[in-house]
Amino acid sequence: MKFKIHRYIPFQKTNHKIAITHLTSNVKQVIVAMLSVTFGISMYVFMNGFMKGVNDTQTGLAFSTLSHVRIYNDLPEDNSNLLSRYVNNDVAVNIRNPKVIQYTEGIKNSEKIINQLKNYSEIDAVTPQVNINVFFRNGSIKVNGMLSGIDVENEDLLFQTSDYMVDGDWHELNHRNDGIILGQGLAKKLSLKVNDNIIVSTADGATRNYKIIGILATTLASVDNSKAYIKIGTARQILSKNMGYVTDIQINIKDFNTATKIAEEINPITNYKVEPWQEANGQLDAANALRNIIAVAVSLTILLVAGFGIYNIMNMSVNEKIREIAILKAMGFDGKDIVEIFLEQSIIIGILGGLVGMVFGYIISSIVDNIPFKIATLDSLPMEFQTVDYVMAFVFGVITTFVAGYLPARKASQVDPVEIIRG
Amino acid sequence: MKDLALSAKSIEKYFHQPQTFQVLKNINFEVKKGEFLALVGKSGSGKSTLLYVLSTMDTDYSGKLEINGSPVTGKTQNELAAFRNAHIGFVFQFHYLLPEFTAIDNVMLPALKLGNKPKEEIREKALANLDLLGLKPQAEKQANKLSGGQQQRVAIARALINEPAIIMGDEPTGNLDSKNTKIVFDIFKELAAERGQTIISVTHDDEFAANCDRVIELSDGELV
Repeated sequence: MKFKIHRYIPFQKTNHKIAITHLTSNVKQVIVAMLSVTFGISMYVFMNGFMKGVNDTQTGLAFSTLSHVRIYNDLPEDNSNLLSRYVNNDVAVNIRNPKVIQYTEGIKNSEKIINQLKNYSEIDAVTPQVNINVFFRNGSIKVNGMLSGIDVENEDLLFQTSDYMVDGDWHELNHRNDGIILGQGLAKKLSLKVNDNIIVSTADGATRNYKIIGILATTLASVDNSKAYIKIGTARQILSKNMGYVTDIQINIKDFNTATKIAEEINPITNYKVEPWQEANGQLDAANALRNIIAVAVSLTILLVAGFGIYNIMNMSVNEKIREIAILKAMGFDGKDIVEIFLEQSIIIGILGGLVGMVFGYIISSIVDNIPFKIATLDSLPMEFQTVDYVMAFVFGVITTFVAGYLPARKASQVDPVEIIRG
Repeated sequence: MKDLALSAKSIEKYFHQPQTFQVLKNINFEVKKGEFLALVGKSGSGKSTLLYVLSTMDTDYSGKLEINGSPVTGKTQNELAAFRNAHIGFVFQFHYLLPEFTAIDNVMLPALKLGNKPKEEIREKALANLDLLGLKPQAEKQANKLSGGQQQRVAIARALINEPAIIMGDEPTGNLDSKNTKIVFDIFKELAAERGQTIISVTHDDEFAANCDRVIELSDGELV
């Protein structure tokens, strides 16, 4: 009884020995099978790392001008038929030349909202903005654009604006009530440079003169061609608004993927519109999701091809060894033993191929990570190194080899020894 | 009854391809322990078919088969595999060793599978068996590096390793020259005479058959 214990170990020692002997006696074939797994897994690692890198870069670029959550006054409501609330549809209503007498612009009491927002632990940074549509003028040149009154330090915290300065110092704006920072394109259109003066006029007819203290270039030409920054207090002054008036509150959170959830949490504290970035820029979200689907589809296809490779090689091996299988069965090895012998071989191939594949994937990723790619803020191709990709690649690889190895193994186990031995 | 190694009662078997054809017709016989029995017959007489039925590998037959006093008819494939492992040794026309294994590993394999002795003991026994067949110096050689006669002797050593009730041979000398045929035959003879080993062997070698304890002849699927 003492010596029968190992019969209950799932992999029999004898079967293991046969499996190992088969593997070591045919190293070339094993290496070819291993390479197909290695290729599949390294491609999986590379594809997913690259896609993640691209997605992160894309999102990072977008967030240089876009906040994760934005609060603003979603106005004005449609007042073209004021009677619609009081009369039924079957009553004919005729209103001519409606004039809206009064509506609330912007956000009042922004301090209260901002203070409340600071209680949320998921929120990273909050900045108020006063955005005004204006004309920028230099002599006879007139350019339509956006003047953004901002909180210098918090704006930088959200958008790292100071990183994009090409001339002058962002923080200088703190001390200059008459200072303005222009987008590069806008400055070019107006033929202006640092220390020049610029005239700004609003839709309501207010006109102000500012001194250019800096030029900045973000990654978005549309922003650079039309945007300028001044201190938020100065912006309120142009509009003759009091302290606390803002048009937008921009919020950055710790994990931008949770923006929708956090927007919902914030919603009850204010009557204004709370908009997560996914809602404002659906195309970004969709592009990320699509790229991820492509990466997974391509890498799984490669793994599938690798699986066929293993299936093919194991099938050949079974056909080659069919006489041995018959003799093993004659000697008393049952179907389960034969499955074990061949399945163990594929699993060993899968694990070895997987380990080498992870190393290869890392090497390929590192090489691609260093390929120069000088567009926008990029220096080289983007690449993300994530442990989860390696783990997933390995798991998928081993599952693939398991399935690909099981089919030939089952075929081997069904060999009829009489048929083979009698010839 | 007790000293019967094998008893076959009204064994019948049909082939269905390409058309239904009765290969074995009402076969009844018994083999005593220690008997060296030759199964002879013309090609197509069904002697090999009978051997594979007796070996338990072919289960597609009707009738009743008992080996070593236990009925084997109606057992599942896996039960039969375990039964063969413990009670039957095989020597085929082509030696069918595992080519990548050494001679001694080939001999040890059925015993390792049976697994009721420690490995060292199995190794000693395998070495003793190889020694008995004059192959001790070749023990560590890879099977496919041995000559045909040597390989067949390794196969016999392997058949003996679990001390089976019966050794079954399918033309064990069919592929050997006269010198090696004599060596193998002498080994069989000695095993039967000195160790009381039951041996059933299919052969078409008349000289081989003439020297056996008993000869059973088949003709058109019937015992003669």
